[in-house]
Amino acid sequence: MNAADYLVLVGILLGIALYATWNTRRQDSLRSYLKGSENTHWFTIGLSVMATQASAITFLSTPGQGYQDGLGFVQNYFGMPLALIVVAAFFLPIFRKLNVYTAYEFLGSRFDSKTRLLAAGFFLLQRGLGAGLTIYAPAIVLSSVMGWRLDATIVCSGLVVVLYTVSGGCEAVNLTQKYQVGVIFAGMAAAFVIVIRSLPAGLTLSDSLAVAGGFHRLGGVDFSPDPARRYTFWSGTLGGFFLALAYFGTDQSQVQRYLSGGSLRGSRLGLMFNAVFKVPMQFFILLLGVFLFVFYQFERPPLFFNRAQWQQGVAHDSSGQLRALEAGFDSIEDRKAAEVKAWLAARRAGDAAGAEAARSAAEKSQAAAEEIHARAFKALSSRRPGVSANENDYVFVDFILDHLPHGLIGLLVAAFFAAALSSKAGELNALGSTTTVDLYRHIVRRGADDSHYVTASRWFTAFWGLVAIGFALFAHLAENLIQATNILGSVLYGAPLGVFLVAFFIRRIRGTAVFWGALGAQALVFVLYFRGLPVSYLWYNVIGAAACVGLSGAIQAVRGGEAAAA
Amino acid sequence: MSGGPDDQTGLPGLRTWRRVYWAVVAALAAWVVFLCLLDRAFG
Repeated sequence: MNAADYLVLVGILLGIALYATWNTRRQDSLRSYLKGSENTHWFTIGLSVMATQASAITFLSTPGQGYQDGLGFVQNYFGMPLALIVVAAFFLPIFRKLNVYTAYEFLGSRFDSKTRLLAAGFFLLQRGLGAGLTIYAPAIVLSSVMGWRLDATIVCSGLVVVLYTVSGGCEAVNLTQKYQVGVIFAGMAAAFVIVIRSLPAGLTLSDSLAVAGGFHRLGGVDFSPDPARRYTFWSGTLGGFFLALAYFGTDQSQVQRYLSGGSLRGSRLGLMFNAVFKVPMQFFILLLGVFLFVFYQFERPPLFFNRAQWQQGVAHDSSGQLRALEAGFDSIEDRKAAEVKAWLAARRAGDAAGAEAARSAAEKSQAAAEEIHARAFKALSSRRPGVSANENDYVFVDFILDHLPHGLIGLLVAAFFAAALSSKAGELNALGSTTTVDLYRHIVRRGADDSHYVTASRWFTAFWGLVAIGFALFAHLAENLIQATNILGSVLYGAPLGVFLVAFFIRRIRGTAVFWGALGAQALVFVLYFRGLPVSYLWYNVIGAAACVGLSGAIQAVRGGEAAAA
Repeated sequence: MSGGPDDQTGLPGLRTWRRVYWAVVAALAAWVVFLCLLDRAFG
C-alpha cells in the first residue's frame, strides 16, 4: 500500500465515522438511541440488516472459499429467505405491537422474568464473547499481509466503532452501515471487474466456466442426503432455515436493526430485501473466487497465499526442504497451465476425446499440486508451530495487493474494515441495549427517566466495546478461547430459538416449563457436540430447537394442572 | 387484512404480503434451478 491507498482508507473510514457521530450527536430519548429515527427508510433498514450479518470475513474469506471449494457454500443460505418470511409474517408484528426494545422483553410479557433473563443471558454470553472475534479475525489477516502491528490494528479499528456507536446509538449505526455497505459493494464490484479483466486475452466466458466446471468448482447444489457432508441442499435449506430463524428472530443484534424505523411495512420490506438479495450476493462473492481460480490456471499461484508466513518459514529452513517443495509446486503448476491450454484448444476444435484427455491430465496435476501444498504445510508447521492452515483468508487479499492499482487497494482494504466496523457496531449496539433494558432497567434501576437510561446505555456499550477490544488483543495468546467462542457461536442458537417458537406458536406452554426445557435442550446439544455427533454444525440448531419444544411440552404436560391454575 | 398502512406493501404488482412472500420463494427456487443448470452445462 502506498500513500494514496492510506489516504483512501483513512479518509473513507474516518469520514463515515465522523459524519455519523456529528449528525447523531444529540440523542437524549431512549427510543431514538435504541431504535433509531422514526423516519428510517426501509432501504436503510435492509442495508443495516445486511451489514450486521456480513462481517469482514464474509468478504475476505468467501472468495477464498470459492477458489478452494467452488460454489457449494452458497447452499448454506438457502434457508435464509424462508426464515425471513417467517420472521416478517409472525415475529415482527408481535414485536411491533408490544413496542419492545429487545426481543427478550417479549419473553418477559409472554412467559416470566426468569425466561426473559435466560434468553438475554444466552445472547450476552454468545455475542459478548463473539464480539471480540469480529475485530480479531480480519485484524489478524490484514495485519499479517500489510505488515501492520496486530495490537494497533485492533485498537484503532475498535476505538473508531466504539466512538460512533456510543455517541449516536442505533441511529449512528444505521447511518454508518448505509455508507459502509456502499463502500463494500463498490470495492467488491471493482475487484470483480479487475479479476475478469486479468484473465488471458481470448478466454471467453464459456471457456472460463468450462475450466471452473472441469475442476468441479461450479457444483452449487448437492442433493446428497448424507448429514455428515458440510454443504448440501438439505443442510442448507433445513439447517440454514433454523440458523437464520434463530439469528434473525431471536438475536438482538438483528432484531434491533429491523425494529428501527417507524412502521411495520418498513421493517418487513427491509427483511424482504435481504431475503431476495442475500443468496445472489453470496453467489457473486463465491463466483469471484471461482474466477480467481480460473485466473491462477494461467498464472502461477504462490504455494502459500499467506506469503509472509511462508517467507518466515523459508528464512528459517536451513535444510532447503521448503524451497525444494516450492520448486516442485511451480513445475507442476507450469505443466498444468499447458494442459489447460491444450484442453481449451481441443474444446474449441470440437475434439471431445482430446479435450477430456487434457482435462483429466490437468486434474491429476491439480491433485499433485494440492498434495505438495499439504506436505509444505506439514513441513512449515513442524518448523513454526501455530501456522494457520486456513488459506481461504489470504487468497483474495493476496490478489488485491498484487494486481489492483493503487487507490483501489485502499478502497478494498477500506471495504474489509467497513464490513468489520458495521457488523461490530450492530453487535455493540445490541449488547448495550440488552444490558440496559433487560438487566439494568428490569432488575437494578426501575422507573428512572430516559436520559438516565441513555447514559447507562452509553456506558454499557462502551463497556462491551472495551471487552471486545481486550478479547481481540489477547485472543492470539489463547487459541482455546477462540475455539470455545466458535463452539458457543455454533451450538448456542437452537435452545433460544425453541423458546421463541414456543412463545409464538404454542400458547398452552408456560414460563417454568420452557425455562427448564431450554436448559435441558442446551445441555443435550453440548453433550452431543462433545461426543462428536457426525453431523454438520447447522443441524445443532435444529436439534436444540426441537429438543427445547419437545422438553417444554413434556414438562408442561406433567405440570398441566399447576399451569392451568396459574 | 384490515387495509391499514402496514398492510400495503407499496410494491407494484405485489400488493399483498402473501404475494411478496411467494415472490421471495419463487426467486429462491429460480436461483436453485440456475445453479443446477450452470453445473450441468459446464460441470
